[in-house]
Amino acid sequence: MNWTIETENLGKRYGDVAAVEGLSLRVAQGEIYAFLGLNGAGKTTTIRMLLGMIKPTRGTATVLGKRVRLGSREPWAQVGYLVEIPHAYPELSVRENLEAARRLHPGTERKTVSQVIERLGLAAYADRRAGVLSQGNAQRLGLAKALLHNPQLLLLDEPANGLDPAGIVEIRALLLELTRQEGVTVFMSSHILAEVARLAKRIGIIHEGRLLQEMDVHELEQNRRRRLQVRARDIETARRVLSSAGYPTEILPDGILECTQPSAIERPDDIASLLVRAGNPPTHLLVEEEELEQYFLRLVGSNKEEK
Amino acid sequence: MSTFTDMLWVEQRKAIRSKIPLFTALGSLALPLGIAFLLFVSRNPEISRQLGLISTKASLMAATATNWPTYLGLLSQMLAMGGLILFVLIISWVFGREFSDGTLKDLLAVPVPRASILLAKFLVAAVWSATLAVLIFSLGLLMGALIQLPQASNGIILQGSARAAITACLVIAVMLPFAFFASLGRGYLLPIGLVVLTLILANLVVIAGWGEYFPWSVLGLYAQGKESLPAISFLIVILTSLVGMVGTYLWWKYADQNR
Repeated sequence: MNWTIETENLGKRYGDVAAVEGLSLRVAQGEIYAFLGLNGAGKTTTIRMLLGMIKPTRGTATVLGKRVRLGSREPWAQVGYLVEIPHAYPELSVRENLEAARRLHPGTERKTVSQVIERLGLAAYADRRAGVLSQGNAQRLGLAKALLHNPQLLLLDEPANGLDPAGIVEIRALLLELTRQEGVTVFMSSHILAEVARLAKRIGIIHEGRLLQEMDVHELEQNRRRRLQVRARDIETARRVLSSAGYPTEILPDGILECTQPSAIERPDDIASLLVRAGNPPTHLLVEEEELEQYFLRLVGSNKEEK
Repeated sequence: MSTFTDMLWVEQRKAIRSKIPLFTALGSLALPLGIAFLLFVSRNPEISRQLGLISTKASLMAATATNWPTYLGLLSQMLAMGGLILFVLIISWVFGREFSDGTLKDLLAVPVPRASILLAKFLVAAVWSATLAVLIFSLGLLMGALIQLPQASNGIILQGSARAAITACLVIAVMLPFAFFASLGRGYLLPIGLVVLTLILANLVVIAGWGEYFPWSVLGLYAQGKESLPAISFLIVILTSLVGMVGTYLWWKYADQNR
């Protein structure tokens, strides 16, 4: 298979500090791959290595079939990117900034500037100096620069930064449209799992420079911890009844009975029947799925414990 | 070639749209206006008496530049010293602003040769500096005419203009390596600090007698009208300029860029 992005044991060390270590990942054409990690996990360093801005201390990166090398001219004609804060020339207008970006991609037609202004909802600000843009509009300008030359691959570092909820929804729709209709591949970093779970097909979790886990988004659902929560008038009796029926439970500080046994989670109706027969019917029965952020922090935290 | 002209368009647009050309133009005007003012004061005893310390400085200036040949020499020296500081400010801005404004990353993963981007920057900085040199010298000539300096002749003006033009070219040549320091220091501070240090060093090197071999002293010696500068001095200036440009290119191509 021809991967759009392929890294092999990619690593970057600054003296004794390993910013990224042994990173091997593959991104297929047309998919949205989310690269998830806390601040300082190594996301931006990875993106900079993929863009040939930083030389890896070990391993290789291949983008669109070309081995990435520092200062190389390939394969950037087909790559759009947004790295960290989307800076622009403050004295130039939005349109002039985009015109400068267009000229950095020879062969890009002049009309693309107006098209991308429309697409990113920047028409009202087209002639405004970039230095006076709000954070959200500066982010839109950064995304417009990345999309301007209709690239096959987008490398986006925290693309939702600074956007309001409507802007986040809009950009999400735009990225989905690009992948579905134009076959664009998106590699995006984020530190918010809930944000990428709605968008990405695959998710890679990086922590302290290492890839902890890589999964399809439906695996994410399976991996998240689920639990059954029960309330009853006599919580002690309920616990005893469930325990003797082979469902170990725990009473939480707020008086809720919690059961993590898969058979209980799969068939909460059985639990209800058991309690009714014991004369202590449930007043509350809920199958709760672990929050995405909790799952992410558990994953990252358990890695810390292993260390 | 078309990518180079595109890069040139980008660089000139950034320069023209900023306020820096205006500020540097104002800074450059201050140089000949200052000299002309001091000469004017020294030639008008009534004003001189009222100005105290300024009148002392004006007298010193008047002793140095009593006629057109010496005045033109003074203008060239001013270009060598003041021009170097001003032109280094310009090149520091052209290169250092990409780091300070965080815009460097937009110039890195692009299909345009790095050399085109850098050459456009060097060219804009050089043309901008040359324009300021013309402005400084033209205003200097106008001031000289207004204060009616003696010994004006076409030959003298032409000779003085040629010396000033070559001095400006030398200044531009030795200003180019400061692009490397702006890149290395990722901003304006390192090149601006270094130019002050370089000027001090250039004077010390001249005192030590090695001025002909130190590129930043060569321009001062030339501006002073030192007749017997060896060809090697000019060669060193050209080499310094080339090394500065190649160093900048290598740094932009091979150094890790974290900003």
